[in-house]
Amino acid sequence: MKTWEQLRDQPSLRDHYATRSHVVKAIRDFFWQKGFLEVETPQLVNLPSMEPNLEVFETDLRDNYKHSYRAFLTSSPEFAMKKLLAGGYKNIFQICKSYRNEEGWSSRHNPEFTILEWYRTDSDYTAIMQDCEQMFRFIGKALGKTKVLFHGVEYDLTQKWERISVAEAFQLYSEIDTDTLLSHDLLKKAAEQKGYSLDDENTWEEAFNQIFLNEIEPHLGRTKPTILYDYPVAMASLSRRKKDDPRFAERFEFYIAGLELGNAFSELTDWQEQLARLEADRAEKEILGRTLYDVDRDFIDALESGVEDCAGIAVGVDRVAMFFMNADTIQDTLFFPAIEMWKPKEE
Amino acid sequence: MAYVNGGNVKKGQFIIHNGAPNAVIKSDFVSPGKGSAFTRAKLRNLQTGSVIDFTFKTTEKVELADVESVEMQFIYSTGAEYVFMNPRSYEQFEIPADVVGEDNKFLKEEMTVYVQLYNGQPIGIFMPQKVVLEVTEAEDAVAGDRANAPKKPVIVETGAEVMAPLFVKKGDKLLIDTATGEYVSRAN
Repeated sequence: MKTWEQLRDQPSLRDHYATRSHVVKAIRDFFWQKGFLEVETPQLVNLPSMEPNLEVFETDLRDNYKHSYRAFLTSSPEFAMKKLLAGGYKNIFQICKSYRNEEGWSSRHNPEFTILEWYRTDSDYTAIMQDCEQMFRFIGKALGKTKVLFHGVEYDLTQKWERISVAEAFQLYSEIDTDTLLSHDLLKKAAEQKGYSLDDENTWEEAFNQIFLNEIEPHLGRTKPTILYDYPVAMASLSRRKKDDPRFAERFEFYIAGLELGNAFSELTDWQEQLARLEADRAEKEILGRTLYDVDRDFIDALESGVEDCAGIAVGVDRVAMFFMNADTIQDTLFFPAIEMWKPKEE
Repeated sequence: MAYVNGGNVKKGQFIIHNGAPNAVIKSDFVSPGKGSAFTRAKLRNLQTGSVIDFTFKTTEKVELADVESVEMQFIYSTGAEYVFMNPRSYEQFEIPADVVGEDNKFLKEEMTVYVQLYNGQPIGIFMPQKVVLEVTEAEDAVAGDRANAPKKPVIVETGAEVMAPLFVKKGDKLLIDTATGEYVSRAN
Protein backbone atom coordinates (compact mmCIF):
# COMPACT_ATOMS: atom_id res chain seq x y z
CA MET A 1 0.00 0.00 0.00
CA LYS A 2 1.25 3.49 -0.86
CA THR A 3 1.86 5.91 1.98
CA TRP A 4 -1.01 8.18 0.90
CA GLU A 5 -3.36 5.21 1.01
CA GLN A 6 -2.17 4.30 4.50
CA LEU A 7 -2.75 7.90 5.57
CA ARG A 8 -6.28 7.69 4.20
CA ASP A 9 -6.96 4.44 6.06
CA GLN A 10 -5.31 5.30 9.38
CA PRO A 11 -6.02 8.81 10.64
CA SER A 12 -3.51 8.46 13.51
CA LEU A 13 -0.75 8.02 10.96
CA ARG A 14 -1.31 11.59 9.76
CA ASP A 15 -0.17 12.99 13.12
CA HIS A 16 2.82 10.66 13.07
CA TYR A 17 3.97 11.89 9.66
CA ALA A 18 3.21 15.50 10.63
CA THR A 19 5.97 15.18 13.26
CA ARG A 20 8.40 15.62 10.39
CA SER A 21 6.84 18.97 9.46
CA HIS A 22 7.05 20.13 13.08
CA VAL A 23 10.71 19.08 13.22
CA VAL A 24 11.51 21.13 10.11
CA LYS A 25 9.61 24.14 11.45
CA ALA A 26 11.45 23.88 14.79
CA ILE A 27 14.82 23.79 13.00
CA ARG A 28 13.88 26.99 11.10
CA ASP A 29 12.66 28.70 14.27
CA PHE A 30 15.82 27.69 16.12
CA PHE A 31 18.18 29.29 13.59
CA TRP A 32 16.08 32.41 13.02
CA GLN A 33 15.96 32.93 16.80
CA LYS A 34 19.74 32.56 16.98
CA GLY A 35 20.14 35.30 14.41
CA PHE A 36 21.06 33.11 11.43
CA LEU A 37 19.87 34.15 7.98
CA GLU A 38 18.05 31.54 5.93
CA VAL A 39 19.42 31.43 2.38
CA GLU A 40 18.46 29.58 -0.78
CA THR A 41 21.06 28.37 -3.25
CA PRO A 42 20.43 26.43 -6.47
CA GLN A 43 20.01 22.68 -6.58
CA LEU A 44 20.58 22.75 -10.36
CA VAL A 45 24.17 23.85 -11.01
CA ASN A 46 26.86 23.93 -13.67
CA LEU A 47 29.50 22.40 -11.38
CA PRO A 48 28.71 20.33 -8.29
CA SER A 49 31.04 19.51 -5.40
CA MET A 50 33.77 16.90 -5.75
CA GLU A 51 33.47 14.13 -3.11
CA PRO A 52 35.17 11.15 -4.80
CA ASN A 53 32.74 8.58 -3.44
CA LEU A 54 29.56 10.45 -4.28
CA GLU A 55 28.06 9.99 -7.72
CA VAL A 56 26.08 12.92 -9.11
CA PHE A 57 22.83 13.16 -11.04
CA GLU A 58 23.67 14.72 -14.38
CA THR A 59 21.07 16.23 -16.65
CA ASP A 60 20.98 18.24 -19.85
CA LEU A 61 20.01 21.89 -19.73
CA ARG A 62 18.80 23.34 -23.04
CA ASP A 63 18.15 26.95 -23.95
CA ASN A 64 15.51 28.24 -26.34
CA TYR A 65 17.89 27.67 -29.26
CA LYS A 66 18.25 24.05 -28.11
CA HIS A 67 21.89 24.62 -27.21
CA SER A 68 22.81 22.01 -24.66
CA TYR A 69 24.67 22.59 -21.36
CA ARG A 70 25.83 20.07 -18.76
CA ALA A 71 23.86 20.49 -15.56
CA PHE A 72 23.96 18.66 -12.23
CA LEU A 73 21.83 18.25 -9.12
CA THR A 74 23.80 19.21 -6.01
CA SER A 75 24.86 16.60 -3.47
CA SER A 76 25.04 19.42 -0.90
CA PRO A 77 24.75 23.23 -1.00
CA GLU A 78 28.21 23.63 0.53
CA PHE A 79 30.11 25.46 -2.23
CA ALA A 80 27.34 27.98 -2.81
CA MET A 81 26.97 28.70 0.89
CA LYS A 82 30.69 29.31 1.27
CA LYS A 83 30.53 31.71 -1.67
CA LEU A 84 27.91 33.63 0.33
CA LEU A 85 30.34 33.75 3.27
CA ALA A 86 32.87 35.24 0.85
CA GLY A 87 30.10 37.65 -0.09
CA GLY A 88 30.14 38.88 3.49
CA TYR A 89 27.30 37.08 5.25
CA LYS A 90 28.14 35.90 8.77
CA ASN A 91 25.86 33.18 10.08
CA ILE A 92 23.68 31.45 7.50
CA PHE A 93 21.58 28.30 7.23
CA GLN A 94 19.66 26.43 4.59
CA ILE A 95 17.24 23.49 4.43
CA CYS A 96 17.08 22.06 0.93
CA LYS A 97 16.85 18.92 -1.15
CA SER A 98 20.10 17.20 -2.15
CA TYR A 99 20.76 14.31 -4.48
CA ARG A 100 23.13 11.36 -4.50
CA ASN A 101 23.18 8.77 -7.23
CA GLU A 102 24.24 5.11 -7.06
CA GLU A 103 23.33 4.80 -3.38
CA GLY A 104 19.94 3.23 -4.07
CA TRP A 105 17.34 3.28 -1.37
CA SER A 106 17.83 1.61 1.96
CA SER A 107 17.01 2.12 5.60
CA ARG A 108 19.42 5.07 5.73
CA HIS A 109 19.45 6.42 2.19
CA ASN A 110 17.02 7.92 -0.28
CA PRO A 111 18.35 9.29 -3.61
CA GLU A 112 16.69 12.64 -2.89
CA PHE A 113 17.01 13.74 0.71
CA THR A 114 16.70 16.86 2.82
CA ILE A 115 19.87 18.45 4.08
CA LEU A 116 20.35 21.15 6.69
CA GLU A 117 23.56 23.15 6.51
CA TRP A 118 24.67 26.00 8.67
CA TYR A 119 27.84 28.06 8.81
CA ARG A 120 29.26 30.35 11.48
CA THR A 121 32.06 32.81 11.02
CA ASP A 122 34.52 33.59 13.81
CA SER A 123 34.10 30.15 15.30
CA ASP A 124 35.34 26.64 15.06
CA TYR A 125 33.70 23.23 15.22
CA THR A 126 33.21 23.39 19.00
CA ALA A 127 30.54 26.09 18.49
CA ILE A 128 28.81 23.80 15.98
CA MET A 129 28.83 20.98 18.56
CA GLN A 130 26.94 23.26 20.95
CA ASP A 131 24.50 24.26 18.19
CA CYS A 132 23.71 20.59 17.61
CA GLU A 133 22.96 19.88 21.26
CA GLN A 134 20.86 23.03 21.59
CA MET A 135 18.98 22.38 18.35
CA PHE A 136 17.92 18.89 19.47
CA ARG A 137 16.76 20.31 22.81
CA PHE A 138 14.84 23.03 20.94
CA ILE A 139 13.14 20.56 18.57
CA GLY A 140 12.24 18.36 21.55
CA LYS A 141 10.72 21.36 23.32
CA ALA A 142 8.71 22.28 20.23
CA LEU A 143 7.33 18.73 20.19
CA GLY A 144 6.72 18.86 23.97
CA LYS A 145 9.42 16.32 24.77
CA THR A 146 12.54 16.29 26.92
CA LYS A 147 12.98 12.55 26.37
CA VAL A 148 12.77 10.74 23.05
CA LEU A 149 12.38 6.99 22.56
CA PHE A 150 14.40 5.82 19.56
CA HIS A 151 15.09 2.21 18.60
CA GLY A 152 14.39 1.01 22.12
CA VAL A 153 16.50 3.57 24.00
CA GLU A 154 15.23 6.63 25.82
CA TYR A 155 17.35 9.69 25.04
CA ASP A 156 17.30 12.50 27.58
CA LEU A 157 17.72 15.69 25.55
CA THR A 158 18.61 17.75 28.61
CA GLN A 159 21.88 15.81 29.06
CA LYS A 160 25.20 16.77 27.57
CA TRP A 161 26.24 14.59 24.64
CA GLU A 162 29.14 12.15 24.80
CA ARG A 163 32.34 13.33 23.12
CA ILE A 164 35.06 10.95 21.95
CA SER A 165 37.88 11.46 19.44
CA VAL A 166 38.41 9.10 16.51
CA ALA A 167 41.79 8.05 17.95
CA GLU A 168 40.25 7.35 21.37
CA ALA A 169 37.41 5.36 19.78
CA PHE A 170 39.82 3.15 17.81
CA GLN A 171 41.83 2.53 20.96
CA LEU A 172 38.78 1.87 23.12
CA TYR A 173 36.67 -0.30 20.83
CA SER A 174 39.28 -1.85 18.52
CA GLU A 175 42.56 -1.67 20.47
CA ILE A 176 44.24 0.16 17.62
CA ASP A 177 46.73 2.82 18.67
CA THR A 178 47.19 6.13 16.90
CA ASP A 179 50.41 5.20 15.09
CA THR A 180 48.73 2.10 13.64
CA LEU A 181 45.59 4.06 12.79
CA LEU A 182 47.49 6.64 10.76
CA SER A 183 49.80 4.23 8.93
CA HIS A 184 48.60 2.79 5.63
CA ASP A 185 50.51 -0.48 6.05
CA LEU A 186 50.00 -0.96 9.78
CA LEU A 187 46.25 -0.34 9.63
CA LYS A 188 45.76 -2.75 6.75
CA LYS A 189 47.83 -5.34 8.59
CA ALA A 190 45.78 -4.81 11.78
CA ALA A 191 42.55 -5.18 9.79
CA GLU A 192 43.78 -8.42 8.25
CA GLN A 193 44.72 -9.76 11.69
CA LYS A 194 41.14 -9.03 12.76
CA GLY A 195 39.95 -11.27 9.94
CA TYR A 196 38.81 -8.73 7.36
CA SER A 197 39.55 -9.67 3.80
CA LEU A 198 41.81 -7.05 2.24
CA ASP A 199 44.11 -7.09 -0.76
CA ASP A 200 46.56 -4.68 -2.40
CA GLU A 201 43.70 -2.91 -4.17
CA ASN A 202 42.05 -1.94 -0.91
CA THR A 203 42.80 1.50 0.42
CA TRP A 204 43.60 2.75 3.91
CA GLU A 205 40.19 4.43 3.92
CA GLU A 206 38.45 1.09 3.27
CA ALA A 207 40.39 -0.56 6.10
CA PHE A 208 39.53 2.39 8.36
CA ASN A 209 35.85 2.19 7.50
CA GLN A 210 35.54 -1.58 7.70
CA ILE A 211 36.93 -1.54 11.23
CA PHE A 212 34.91 1.56 12.04
CA LEU A 213 31.61 0.19 10.73
CA ASN A 214 31.99 -3.23 12.31
CA GLU A 215 33.57 -2.41 15.64
CA ILE A 216 33.06 1.24 16.49
CA GLU A 217 29.96 2.75 14.92
CA PRO A 218 27.56 0.28 16.60
CA HIS A 219 28.72 1.64 19.99
CA LEU A 220 28.12 5.28 19.13
CA GLY A 221 25.09 7.08 20.50
CA ARG A 222 23.87 4.06 22.45
CA THR A 223 22.74 5.83 25.61
CA LYS A 224 23.15 9.47 24.61
CA PRO A 225 24.08 11.13 21.31
CA THR A 226 27.81 10.84 20.62
CA ILE A 227 30.07 13.40 18.97
CA LEU A 228 33.01 11.68 17.26
CA TYR A 229 35.69 14.30 16.58
CA ASP A 230 39.16 14.89 15.11
CA TYR A 231 39.48 12.75 11.98
CA PRO A 232 42.73 11.76 10.31
CA VAL A 233 43.53 14.49 7.78
CA ALA A 234 43.12 12.03 4.90
CA MET A 235 39.41 11.79 5.77
CA ALA A 236 38.65 15.47 5.93
CA SER A 237 39.20 17.10 2.58
CA LEU A 238 37.27 20.29 3.35
CA SER A 239 38.44 20.86 6.91
CA ARG A 240 41.19 22.68 8.74
CA ARG A 241 44.07 20.85 10.39
CA LYS A 242 44.36 20.95 14.16
CA LYS A 243 46.98 23.46 15.21
CA ASP A 244 48.37 21.29 18.01
CA ASP A 245 48.31 18.02 16.04
CA PRO A 246 48.35 18.46 12.26
CA ARG A 247 47.91 14.71 11.70
CA PHE A 248 44.24 15.31 12.51
CA ALA A 249 41.63 17.69 11.14
CA GLU A 250 38.85 19.54 12.95
CA ARG A 251 35.96 17.45 11.75
CA PHE A 252 33.20 15.76 13.74
CA GLU A 253 30.20 13.58 13.12
CA PHE A 254 27.39 12.92 15.55
CA TYR A 255 25.58 9.66 16.09
CA ILE A 256 22.42 8.42 17.73
CA ALA A 257 21.87 4.66 18.03
CA GLY A 258 24.68 3.97 15.56
CA LEU A 259 23.08 6.29 13.01
CA GLU A 260 25.18 9.15 11.65
CA LEU A 261 23.17 12.37 11.57
CA GLY A 262 25.66 15.13 10.81
CA ASN A 263 29.15 15.90 9.58
CA ALA A 264 30.92 19.13 10.59
CA PHE A 265 34.18 20.91 9.90
CA SER A 266 36.23 23.86 10.89
CA GLU A 267 36.26 24.90 7.27
CA LEU A 268 39.36 24.99 5.17
CA THR A 269 39.72 28.56 3.88
CA ASP A 270 43.20 28.31 2.33
CA TRP A 271 42.38 28.42 -1.39
CA GLN A 272 45.62 26.83 -2.53
CA GLU A 273 45.28 23.83 -0.24
CA GLN A 274 41.59 23.57 -1.15
CA LEU A 275 42.40 23.59 -4.87
CA ALA A 276 45.04 20.91 -4.42
CA ARG A 277 42.64 18.70 -2.45
CA LEU A 278 39.84 19.14 -5.02
CA GLU A 279 42.22 18.26 -7.87
CA ALA A 280 43.21 15.14 -5.93
CA ASP A 281 39.53 14.30 -5.38
CA ARG A 282 38.91 14.72 -9.10
CA ALA A 283 41.77 12.33 -9.90
CA GLU A 284 40.26 9.81 -7.50
CA LYS A 285 36.85 10.19 -9.16
CA GLU A 286 38.52 9.32 -12.44
CA ILE A 287 40.07 6.16 -10.95
CA LEU A 288 36.70 5.16 -9.49
CA GLY A 289 35.03 5.64 -12.88
CA ARG A 290 32.66 8.36 -11.69
CA THR A 291 31.14 11.17 -13.74
CA LEU A 292 33.86 13.77 -14.31
CA TYR A 293 33.62 17.55 -14.40
CA ASP A 294 35.90 20.47 -13.62
CA VAL A 295 36.74 21.90 -10.23
CA ASP A 296 34.47 24.87 -9.56
CA ARG A 297 37.00 27.71 -9.98
CA ASP A 298 34.39 30.20 -8.85
CA PHE A 299 34.48 28.47 -5.44
CA ILE A 300 38.28 28.71 -5.36
CA ASP A 301 38.04 32.39 -6.41
CA ALA A 302 35.64 32.98 -3.53
CA LEU A 303 38.11 31.46 -1.04
CA GLU A 304 40.96 33.43 -2.60
CA SER A 305 39.05 36.68 -2.21
CA GLY A 306 38.98 35.90 1.51
CA VAL A 307 36.58 34.00 3.74
CA GLU A 308 36.68 34.54 7.48
CA ASP A 309 37.55 31.57 9.66
CA CYS A 310 34.36 29.60 9.85
CA ALA A 311 32.82 26.29 10.72
CA GLY A 312 29.88 24.49 9.19
CA ILE A 313 27.87 21.30 9.21
CA ALA A 314 25.59 19.20 7.04
CA VAL A 315 22.80 17.37 8.89
CA GLY A 316 20.46 14.78 7.38
CA VAL A 317 17.01 16.19 8.15
CA ASP A 318 15.30 12.91 7.23
CA ARG A 319 17.44 11.19 9.85
CA VAL A 320 16.62 13.84 12.45
CA ALA A 321 12.95 13.20 11.61
CA MET A 322 13.61 9.45 11.98
CA PHE A 323 14.86 10.08 15.51
CA PHE A 324 11.91 12.19 16.61
CA MET A 325 9.42 9.86 14.85
CA ASN A 326 11.15 6.72 16.22
CA ALA A 327 11.05 5.47 12.61
CA ASP A 328 12.86 2.29 11.61
CA THR A 329 13.97 3.60 8.24
CA ILE A 330 14.41 6.86 6.40
CA GLN A 331 11.67 5.69 4.01
CA ASP A 332 9.23 5.83 6.94
CA THR A 333 9.72 9.59 7.27
CA LEU A 334 8.82 10.38 3.65
CA PHE A 335 5.35 10.79 2.14
CA PHE A 336 6.72 9.56 -1.19
CA PRO A 337 9.78 7.39 -0.57
CA ALA A 338 11.76 6.45 -3.66
CA ILE A 339 10.97 2.81 -2.98
CA GLU A 340 7.31 3.50 -3.81
CA MET A 341 8.25 5.00 -7.18
CA TRP A 342 10.92 2.57 -8.31
CA LYS A 343 10.92 -1.10 -7.47
CA PRO A 344 14.44 -2.46 -6.94
CA LYS A 345 15.57 -4.62 -9.86
CA GLU A 346 16.91 -8.10 -9.21
CA GLU A 347 20.38 -9.01 -10.40
CA MET B 1 32.64 -22.49 -5.21
CA ALA B 2 30.37 -19.62 -6.04
CA TYR B 3 31.05 -16.07 -4.89
CA VAL B 4 29.16 -12.83 -4.81
CA ASN B 5 30.50 -9.30 -4.42
CA GLY B 6 29.97 -7.69 -1.02
CA GLY B 7 27.83 -5.10 -2.80
CA ASN B 8 25.44 -7.83 -3.96
CA VAL B 9 24.92 -9.53 -0.61
CA LYS B 10 21.14 -9.64 -0.26
CA LYS B 11 18.39 -10.86 2.01
CA GLY B 12 17.50 -14.47 1.22
CA GLN B 13 21.04 -15.51 0.32
CA PHE B 14 23.16 -17.99 2.23
CA ILE B 15 26.82 -17.21 2.62
CA ILE B 16 29.88 -18.59 4.34
CA HIS B 17 31.09 -16.17 6.99
CA ASN B 18 34.00 -17.00 9.33
CA GLY B 19 33.79 -20.56 8.05
CA ALA B 20 30.13 -21.06 8.99
CA PRO B 21 26.98 -20.99 6.86
CA ASN B 22 24.87 -17.89 7.48
CA ALA B 23 21.48 -16.74 6.23
CA VAL B 24 21.40 -13.10 5.14
CA ILE B 25 18.31 -11.75 6.87
CA LYS B 26 18.78 -8.08 6.02
CA SER B 27 21.15 -6.02 3.94
CA ASP B 28 21.61 -2.31 3.60
CA PHE B 29 23.80 0.11 1.70
CA VAL B 30 26.01 2.36 3.83
CA SER B 31 28.57 4.97 2.87
CA PRO B 32 30.25 6.36 5.95
CA GLY B 33 31.00 10.08 5.90
CA LYS B 34 31.08 10.38 2.14
CA GLY B 35 33.53 7.45 2.12
CA SER B 36 33.52 4.37 -0.06
CA ALA B 37 30.48 2.10 -0.25
CA PHE B 38 29.75 -0.78 2.11
CA THR B 39 26.97 -3.31 2.63
CA ARG B 40 25.78 -3.83 6.18
CA ALA B 41 24.22 -7.25 6.55
CA LYS B 42 22.40 -9.01 9.35
CA LEU B 43 23.53 -12.62 9.38
CA ARG B 44 22.04 -15.60 11.18
CA ASN B 45 24.53 -18.34 11.82
CA LEU B 46 22.81 -21.55 10.73
CA GLN B 47 24.79 -23.67 13.16
CA THR B 48 24.46 -21.61 16.33
CA GLY B 49 21.40 -19.49 15.51
CA SER B 50 23.18 -16.35 16.69
CA VAL B 51 22.56 -13.14 14.77
CA ILE B 52 25.31 -10.63 14.05
CA ASP B 53 25.76 -7.50 11.98
CA PHE B 54 28.67 -7.47 9.58
CA THR B 55 29.70 -4.78 7.14
CA PHE B 56 31.26 -5.88 3.86
CA LYS B 57 33.27 -3.79 1.44
CA THR B 58 31.20 -3.73 -1.75
CA THR B 59 34.22 -5.04 -3.64
CA GLU B 60 35.12 -8.00 -1.45
CA LYS B 61 34.40 -11.57 -2.49
CA VAL B 62 31.88 -13.38 -0.34
CA GLU B 63 31.47 -17.14 -0.62
CA LEU B 64 27.95 -18.42 -1.21
CA ALA B 65 26.86 -21.45 0.80
CA ASP B 66 25.69 -24.41 -1.23
CA VAL B 67 22.03 -24.44 -0.25
CA GLU B 68 19.42 -26.44 -2.12
CA SER B 69 15.72 -25.63 -2.28
CA VAL B 70 13.31 -28.57 -2.16
CA GLU B 71 9.55 -28.46 -2.65
CA MET B 72 7.78 -29.81 0.42
CA GLN B 73 4.33 -30.05 1.88
CA PHE B 74 3.51 -28.75 5.36
CA ILE B 75 1.86 -31.50 7.41
CA TYR B 76 1.42 -30.30 10.98
CA SER B 77 2.99 -28.29 13.77
CA THR B 78 3.63 -29.19 17.40
CA GLY B 79 4.21 -25.55 18.24
CA ALA B 80 7.94 -25.99 18.76
CA GLU B 81 8.42 -27.84 15.49
CA TYR B 82 6.96 -27.75 12.02
CA VAL B 83 6.81 -31.02 10.14
CA PHE B 84 7.19 -31.04 6.36
CA MET B 85 7.18 -33.89 3.88
CA ASN B 86 8.92 -34.31 0.57
CA PRO B 87 6.02 -35.40 -1.71
CA ARG B 88 8.36 -37.39 -3.92
CA SER B 89 10.39 -39.33 -1.36
CA TYR B 90 7.81 -39.11 1.49
CA GLU B 91 10.76 -38.22 3.69
CA GLN B 92 9.76 -36.03 6.64
CA PHE B 93 11.66 -33.02 7.99
CA GLU B 94 11.16 -31.38 11.36
CA ILE B 95 11.96 -27.70 11.33
CA PRO B 96 12.29 -25.69 14.55
CA ALA B 97 9.76 -22.86 14.89
CA ASP B 98 12.46 -20.17 14.94
CA VAL B 99 13.73 -21.30 11.54
CA VAL B 100 10.21 -21.03 10.12
CA GLY B 101 9.98 -17.63 11.78
CA GLU B 102 7.18 -15.20 10.97
CA ASP B 103 6.22 -17.16 7.89
CA ASN B 104 4.25 -19.48 10.17
CA LYS B 105 1.32 -17.10 10.35
CA PHE B 106 0.16 -17.93 6.81
CA LEU B 107 1.21 -21.57 6.84
CA LYS B 108 -1.69 -23.98 6.37
CA GLU B 109 -1.72 -27.75 6.32
CA GLU B 110 -1.03 -29.28 2.89
CA MET B 111 0.43 -26.01 1.62
CA THR B 112 3.48 -26.44 -0.62
CA VAL B 113 6.57 -24.38 0.22
CA TYR B 114 10.26 -24.50 -0.61
CA VAL B 115 12.46 -25.77 2.20
CA GLN B 116 16.13 -24.89 2.07
CA LEU B 117 18.62 -27.56 2.91
CA TYR B 118 22.28 -27.16 3.76
CA ASN B 119 24.20 -30.43 4.05
CA GLY B 120 20.81 -32.14 4.24
CA GLN B 121 19.68 -30.02 7.22
CA PRO B 122 16.58 -27.78 6.84
CA ILE B 123 17.58 -24.17 7.48
CA GLY B 124 14.66 -22.11 6.27
CA ILE B 125 11.51 -21.97 4.19
CA PHE B 126 10.27 -19.87 1.29
CA MET B 127 6.54 -19.26 1.27
CA PRO B 128 4.55 -19.03 -1.98
CA GLN B 129 4.21 -15.37 -2.91
CA LYS B 130 0.44 -15.45 -2.51
CA VAL B 131 -1.75 -17.78 -0.46
CA VAL B 132 -5.52 -18.30 -0.26
CA LEU B 133 -6.94 -18.44 3.28
CA GLU B 134 -10.47 -18.55 4.61
CA VAL B 135 -11.80 -15.88 6.94
CA THR B 136 -12.82 -17.40 10.29
CA GLU B 137 -13.68 -14.20 12.13
CA ALA B 138 -14.91 -10.89 10.76
CA GLU B 139 -17.04 -8.26 12.41
CA ASP B 140 -19.87 -6.79 10.43
CA ALA B 141 -18.89 -3.60 8.74
CA VAL B 142 -20.09 -0.40 10.36
CA ALA B 143 -21.94 1.64 7.80
CA GLY B 144 -20.62 5.02 6.81
CA ASP B 145 -17.31 6.73 7.64
CA ARG B 146 -15.74 5.24 4.53
CA ALA B 147 -13.16 7.94 4.24
CA ASN B 148 -11.63 7.19 7.61
CA ALA B 149 -11.86 3.41 7.90
CA PRO B 150 -12.26 1.57 4.63
CA LYS B 151 -10.51 -1.47 6.15
CA LYS B 152 -11.09 -3.67 9.16
CA PRO B 153 -9.12 -6.45 10.83
CA VAL B 154 -10.25 -10.02 10.09
CA ILE B 155 -8.85 -13.32 11.32
CA VAL B 156 -7.99 -16.04 8.79
CA GLU B 157 -7.90 -19.80 9.35
CA THR B 158 -4.23 -19.85 10.38
CA GLY B 159 -4.99 -17.37 13.14
CA ALA B 160 -3.28 -14.43 11.47
CA GLU B 161 -4.88 -10.99 11.46
CA VAL B 162 -5.20 -9.26 8.09
CA MET B 163 -6.58 -5.82 7.21
CA ALA B 164 -9.37 -6.39 4.70
CA PRO B 165 -12.02 -4.22 3.02
CA LEU B 166 -15.33 -3.71 4.85
CA PHE B 167 -17.28 -6.05 2.56
CA VAL B 168 -15.27 -9.12 3.59
CA LYS B 169 -17.33 -11.66 5.55
CA LYS B 170 -16.70 -14.80 7.58
CA GLY B 171 -16.26 -17.72 5.16
CA ASP B 172 -14.77 -15.59 2.37
CA LYS B 173 -11.52 -16.81 0.84
CA LEU B 174 -8.85 -14.13 0.62
CA LEU B 175 -5.75 -13.89 -1.53
CA ILE B 176 -2.92 -12.64 0.70
CA ASP B 177 0.57 -11.46 -0.19
CA THR B 178 2.89 -13.36 2.17
CA ALA B 179 5.74 -10.87 1.81
CA THR B 180 3.73 -7.86 3.00
CA GLY B 181 0.97 -9.68 4.88
CA GLU B 182 -1.56 -7.58 2.98
CA TYR B 183 -4.93 -8.45 1.49
CA VAL B 184 -4.79 -8.62 -2.32
CA SER B 185 -8.30 -9.64 -3.35
CA ARG B 186 -11.15 -12.04 -2.69
CA ALA B 187 -10.65 -15.54 -4.08
CA ASN B 188 -14.19 -16.91 -3.67
